[in-house]
Amino acid sequence: MGTYIDNLLNDKIKKIKEEDNVFDTGVVVKIKDYIIEVSGLENVSFFEKVTILGKGIGYVNSIGENVVSVAIVRENEPIKVGDEVSASGEQFKAIFSEDALGRIIDLFGEDKLTSKYFKNFKYIDIERPNVPLMDRTAVNRPMLTGIAGIDLIYPIGKGQRQLIIGDKKTGKTQIALDAIVNQRSIALQNKEEMICVYIAVGKTKKEIKTIYNELLKRGALSYTLLVVATNDDKPPVQSLIPFVGVSIAEEYMLHQKKDVLVIIDDLKKHAEVYREISLISNKAPGREAYPSDIFYFHSRLLEKGCQHKNGGSITILPIVETKGGDITDYISTNIISITDGQIVLSQKQFTKGQKPAIDYTVSVSRLGGAVQSKEMKSLGATIRRKLLSYLETKEVYELANTDEMSNELKEKINLGKKIEETLNQPKFSPMSQDEILLRFKAISEDKNL
Amino acid sequence: MEKVGRIISISELNVKVFLYKSDVKTKDILVYKDDTMLHKFEVVELDNNIASCIPFESVKGLKKGFELEALTEGLQIQYSEEILGKVFNSFGELIDGNTIEKEVKRNVYDRNISIEELDISGKILWTGIKVIDFFAPIQKGYKMGLLGGAGVGKTVLIKELINNIYRKQNSNAVFIGVGERSREGKELYDEMKKDDLLDKISMVFGQMGESPSSRSKAVYSGLTLAEYLRDEKEQDVLLFIDNIYRYVQAMSEVSTELRRVPIENGYPTTLLSDISGVQERINSTSRGSITSFQAIYIPADDINDEAVQTILTHLDGQIVLDRKIAEKGLHPAINVFKSSSKSIDPEIIGKRHYDLVTEALKYFSRYNELEQIIAVLGIDELSDNDKNIFYRTRKLRNYFSQPMFVAKDYTGLEGKMVDVDNLLNDVSDILNGAYDDVDEEKFLYRGSLNEE
Repeated sequence: MGTYIDNLLNDKIKKIKEEDNVFDTGVVVKIKDYIIEVSGLENVSFFEKVTILGKGIGYVNSIGENVVSVAIVRENEPIKVGDEVSASGEQFKAIFSEDALGRIIDLFGEDKLTSKYFKNFKYIDIERPNVPLMDRTAVNRPMLTGIAGIDLIYPIGKGQRQLIIGDKKTGKTQIALDAIVNQRSIALQNKEEMICVYIAVGKTKKEIKTIYNELLKRGALSYTLLVVATNDDKPPVQSLIPFVGVSIAEEYMLHQKKDVLVIIDDLKKHAEVYREISLISNKAPGREAYPSDIFYFHSRLLEKGCQHKNGGSITILPIVETKGGDITDYISTNIISITDGQIVLSQKQFTKGQKPAIDYTVSVSRLGGAVQSKEMKSLGATIRRKLLSYLETKEVYELANTDEMSNELKEKINLGKKIEETLNQPKFSPMSQDEILLRFKAISEDKNL
Repeated sequence: MEKVGRIISISELNVKVFLYKSDVKTKDILVYKDDTMLHKFEVVELDNNIASCIPFESVKGLKKGFELEALTEGLQIQYSEEILGKVFNSFGELIDGNTIEKEVKRNVYDRNISIEELDISGKILWTGIKVIDFFAPIQKGYKMGLLGGAGVGKTVLIKELINNIYRKQNSNAVFIGVGERSREGKELYDEMKKDDLLDKISMVFGQMGESPSSRSKAVYSGLTLAEYLRDEKEQDVLLFIDNIYRYVQAMSEVSTELRRVPIENGYPTTLLSDISGVQERINSTSRGSITSFQAIYIPADDINDEAVQTILTHLDGQIVLDRKIAEKGLHPAINVFKSSSKSIDPEIIGKRHYDLVTEALKYFSRYNELEQIIAVLGIDELSDNDKNIFYRTRKLRNYFSQPMFVAKDYTGLEGKMVDVDNLLNDVSDILNGAYDDVDEEKFLYRGSLNEE
């Protein structure tokens, strides 16, 4: 009996000495939805990939004194207490493949349209180190969406983070899609190709298919990939997917010096998923039961958007859904305080038939004219001032008698109406900069601004 | 170096270390060196021979059993004449590619001021920004809070103040970027460099993409630099902090990970002492002064937020930016009722200025009542006196909008500074009806009324 144990021990010691592909193992001791606790796994590192034998995979989420907590990202069969878990010796990573352009992919590098995996791929970090402050340069090149209300009034630059926020069914995703599709005509004009990454967090499969078809119809897929976690994916997957999408974008920016446009649809859902995971992991709830690090969770994601000194850039358009038009709730204000501006869509404007339903009084671009051409900048500043002044006056003088108004006031109101009408633009009908200049110059000259 | 302990547990923001020796103190720095980098941890709690530490960077790849060494001097920053014109990270390391030759280091937590040293009689520092100089003038050595929800213009105002005061006063300054956008930090640096203004300012950044420990330490490192300029170079120092709320936010994240019981909205139990610890260091002595401008973010537009209110108790004045005013396209979007400073006192600003402020506030508050009446009855139903108040206040409100130097790209308008004498004359003229037949539109975004 003694020799048997000795032999076993010697065998184990020999294997460890030779590092003979023997990874740490452990046993599942506790299951709490998709967070499991494992005893053993003495030698795993933080965020290491682990396998629950034959049943699923996960990553190390925290290392305790006695147990290791693992977040499950994939579960093929129900996991039970007592199941064996083995470490991999590697960090949990995502897949990047050049062939993924035009496809719908998930965290594991699966092509969701064919259920196959890409042959040509490499592993990339899900979250890379920050681009250092001193490696960033000024955001000053326009990222044109083809929407006059944006390109002229609240412009977006390459490397900017511009929030799209509004209630359900006010056209948030549509603005993002318009921006993606418009890149095609820009690429045709001046050969500046942009890569677009559409990230879906917790969307339904139907929504994703619809978006795919819209992009397909308009020939936008040759430069676009969709990185998705659907609402039936495990919450840890949904919480990681925006980081994966942005890491793919960084691959293009850092190594190929490309300009990348990233859409994240949407961050409110993302926050809710993160709240769920945090509460299940017993973290203390803060405001609205979100964990205290919810701001950091989003800030470090959105800070990946930048103009890099190597010439490449990542522009991020995160989307946030609000309730009852309230943009002052906790998550919305958090994200507004991270992004470089916001395009606010209003239900009221939408039902009045204004498309896109942008509320010009609360929308903002912190970069403003810095990202516009000289002509767009001066025209944009004038039109914006006149429009805002009209919208404010309209509110106060709505009940006043028009006949008794001064001519100046009457003129202001007429001009404002004209600007409002001209900003109306149906979906997928982009306007080039020249068209925008032409139309709005006509208005401004008409009235001798 | 000697090994002082080994890691026994790891979570995102909390690493527990089993100590071999008992002479480790809180605020000591423990380090672990792997192939690529030096991982640093600050000891925050000690329980017998177990130390709870917060990591300065990501903990990805760390394992149980890793052995650590100790830097017992704690967190330090360089402390010499050479700091001006340089950019530091939160941990006192240079990040602009520069080096410092004569290295003198100092712990970032050291300094505290006694009542005896404290100096509280400062002159008014005119900013050239109409609405601030009128409603909330700033005295040298003051702490001024700039409050606002997300996206109402705090950072623009801070930059305008840097532009107007730092350039004009030609004094030394320290800028601390805490938990704000890296883009803005870099742009500020680039602009200062372009305009050759870097020679008198040092910058410290712990921006929003960085770990909570980085964001909370930036304040301490920056303060240490300001104290050096005040105490050893005997300067009047300008200190800009954008944004002090983010410091509290970072402390909440750390506190949650240490599993301490939070107070309301997830704020740390130590909220009061954390803030006092920072604010009491920002003071003036007879040898030098620190005038500070601190942007304060208002989470979820809730000005009664516990952290915001706690910070406010330390300040001498506050400028509150209001979303409703920003929505009207009026910038700086200052709420005149909530903005004030301790220098609104006839003995400090003079009787004329004081009376004008009182009068203007009377007009503004009547205007608010009238707006509601008008919404029901229309303007025509008002008495002549009320009509005057209504139209004059709208002109005054427009007059307080001002083109800013730093927002030129956005507005397309050249910035303007207004002298305080002109400012008082203009306000007095508007209130007395001297401009009754001028259209309200004409008062928007301009400097003083008697120029042009």
